[in-house]
This record gives sequence, structure tokens and C-alpha cells, in this order.
Amino acid sequence: MRARAAAGAALASAGILAAGWQAGAQAIEASQVTGVTTSGGTNGTASSGSGSSSTSGSGTTGGGSRAASSSALKDGSYTGAIESTRFGNVQVQLVVSGGKITDVKALQLTDAERRSQMISATAAPILRSEVLQAQSGNVDTVSGATVTSDAYLSSLQAALDAAHA
Amino acid sequence: MQPMRDESAVLKSRTFLAMGTVVSLTASFPTGGSADPKELDAAVRLIESDFAELEERFSLFREDSEASALARGVIRLAHASPEMRACYAEAVEWRRRTHGAFTAERPDGVLDLSGLVKGRAIAQAGDSLDAFGLRNWCLNAGGDVLVSGTPSPGDPERSWLAGIVDPADRRTLLGAYPLGSGARRALATSGSAERGDHIWGVGGRKSEFVQVSVAGPDIVTADVLATAIVAGGRELLDVAALEWDVDVLAVTRDGKLLATPGFRAPHAA
Repeated sequence: MRARAAAGAALASAGILAAGWQAGAQAIEASQVTGVTTSGGTNGTASSGSGSSSTSGSGTTGGGSRAASSSALKDGSYTGAIESTRFGNVQVQLVVSGGKITDVKALQLTDAERRSQMISATAAPILRSEVLQAQSGNVDTVSGATVTSDAYLSSLQAALDAAHA
Repeated sequence: MQPMRDESAVLKSRTFLAMGTVVSLTASFPTGGSADPKELDAAVRLIESDFAELEERFSLFREDSEASALARGVIRLAHASPEMRACYAEAVEWRRRTHGAFTAERPDGVLDLSGLVKGRAIAQAGDSLDAFGLRNWCLNAGGDVLVSGTPSPGDPERSWLAGIVDPADRRTLLGAYPLGSGARRALATSGSAERGDHIWGVGGRKSEFVQVSVAGPDIVTADVLATAIVAGGRELLDVAALEWDVDVLAVTRDGKLLATPGFRAPHAA
């Protein structure tokens, strides 16, 4: 039973995590959290979504999954129902191995590509060597903080302009 | 019709002074063809007037400008020209969208729209160049860049390659970014050290970034966001990367870089 409860909780938190992740800086509304939480529910198979937010009704179990009729979850993967949230659909999958949850995957994330792109567009630390390298001699123009007309004279852009005069 | 090759195109540049900086217009012409510097000269005269027109109205460095009259309190905003009020309205909207990081009011209370005006001038000049019929050009106004087409008409896939200055050594480049038609036509860079304190940190704190470059579909957005991120720091960088279709490269005070994926080489777009 504990494993089931854990599975439910894991799915629920995965759903919330996914929604929160997708939502980015936006606040997650209480109603939405409730909707996602429902997808985990207390169902041992973690497969049937309930409530108005479920789009798929009863969920499906993934390959190798089986009904969790015993007290412990059997090995396999369990797929949650597709839950629709304010930000789009969310669906998670749980992998159980040796009676323990070993992985939680997001099968479907909200409103998909655009949000995913937006998330992946977030800035991260980057090494100088990871930026496209170029020498001043092989660029076409130079971008920098505004130079005064005096500072222009000694700028890389001035050298390029002179070369193209 | 002889197919053009890479080496059959030549870049020609012209420069002029505007808004306290130097504007460079570079265009690509086929070599030996009707490569026409006259066409470029005419295009330059056209955009010179675009810059001059905005400068006449908005420059705080000119005593006879409408902006100076506003700053002295000789006229009120309510009685200002439609152009002035439209620009102010746009600045207010940008302030809202950047959570206050971009602002058109100097700490002393004077209305200063220069953070918006240069971008607008570049955008207007770009429209003029398109209307004029010039293709394959690159416009650089004091380090802010707008392009059209390609530097290599025989190889239309080639992008205009824009170098980005290293703020620690302005004679070297941090890296480069390819600009072309479409979603990445514009690149603007703002710094916290240039021109005195032309960017004010939110709440008077020192900016955590010494330089921020933003690439995007239009120059006003790129320019405003670059300025706003210098002022608003990491928090605003994240907001900008989420809410706008832009790439950002920021240099921190200790010389480290933060970047959205678009600034990684090889460029994926």
C-alpha cells in the first residue's frame, strides 16, 4: 500500500512539477494544481484520471505494465491519464522496478512545443568557447554598447567600414 | 545570366554622424556588374534624413528640440506633438512589459526617450531602405544592428555575421551571431559602462551585467530588452527569454557569460 501511495504522490508531484516547469514564471492557479493532483489520485495503477480536467477518461498502461492488484506495485511502467491544465495537456509515466519507483517521465508536456521551446530558451551559464567564434577580420559588422562618435574612430566597426569604403 | 558566386559580391560601406554616434550602412553588390556606389549614396542620404528627423525632435543635446522644451517645462506632454506623445506611450508600454526595468524617466525626473528613439530611427531607416529597393544591407548605428538579405547574394543562405564586442577589451570579440531575414534581423547590445550611467539599475542598485546583447525580429524590441536586462538583471533576462522570441547573451561583472541556446555555436536556426 505504501508503494501505491508513493506512486500516486509521485505522479501527482510530477504533474505539478511538469505544470510548474511549463508555466515558467507564471503562477499556478489552485484549480490547476487540483486538476493535476487528481491524475495521480490514490489509484494504484495510477491510470485513471478523474474529474472534469481529464481528457482521456481511464488511462492506459504502458508496455510491460500490469494491473496493480497486489499490495506492492509490480515491475513495469505505469502511464497516467492525460490531464488538461490551463497550460495544456500533461501526462506522466512511472517506472517501477523491484517494487520501487525508479523513474518518472513526462510523456506529454503542456501546449507543447512552444512552451518547451520557451523553457529551453532560458539562459544558462555558457563558456566563452561555446559561443560562435569569430575574428574581427571575418565578421560583417560589430555589435557593442553604444560608442560615441569619438570612440568610433578606434572601434572594430570603423576598421570594417574603412575596409569596405 | 551568369550565376553569382560568393566572390562575385563586394561589400560597400558609407557612414554618417547621428545621435551622438556613427551610423554605418553596408550593402552587398555584385562585382563588375552594375555595382553602384551611387545607389548606396542615395540610400545613405535617405536614411540620414530619417535619423535627423527623429534627432531634431527628440534630442536632449539640442536646445531647440521639442524634447528639450519638455525637459525645461516650457511645454507639457499633453500639448506635445503626436509623435512625442506616441513615443512616450510606447515607452510607458515597454516599462510595463519589462516590469519597470526599462524606463523613459531619468533619475532627475527628466523625460528621456533616447533609449527608444535610436531603435525607432533604425527601424524607420530600415523601412526606407526596403522602400528604396536596396536589398542585402546591414545597418549599424552605434553598435545596434539591423540587416536585410545576405552579404552574399550568390549564396542566399549566408547570414550577416555580427561580431559581439568583448566589454573587457573592446578591440576583441566575445563571439559572433548570424543575422538574416526573418526572426533574427536585429541585434542590439547595451552596456552599463558606456556613456556614463545611461542605464540605471532598478532601485538604484548596480547592474549585475556589464553587457547584454539581444537578437530578435525587430530592432526596437532587441534594443529595449538589452537595456532592460542590464537594468533588471537575471530576473528580467529570464522574463525576456520566456516572453519574447529573442536570443540573449549577457556578460556578468566577473566576466562570465549567460546565454540562451541560440548563442551557442553552431547556430541552430
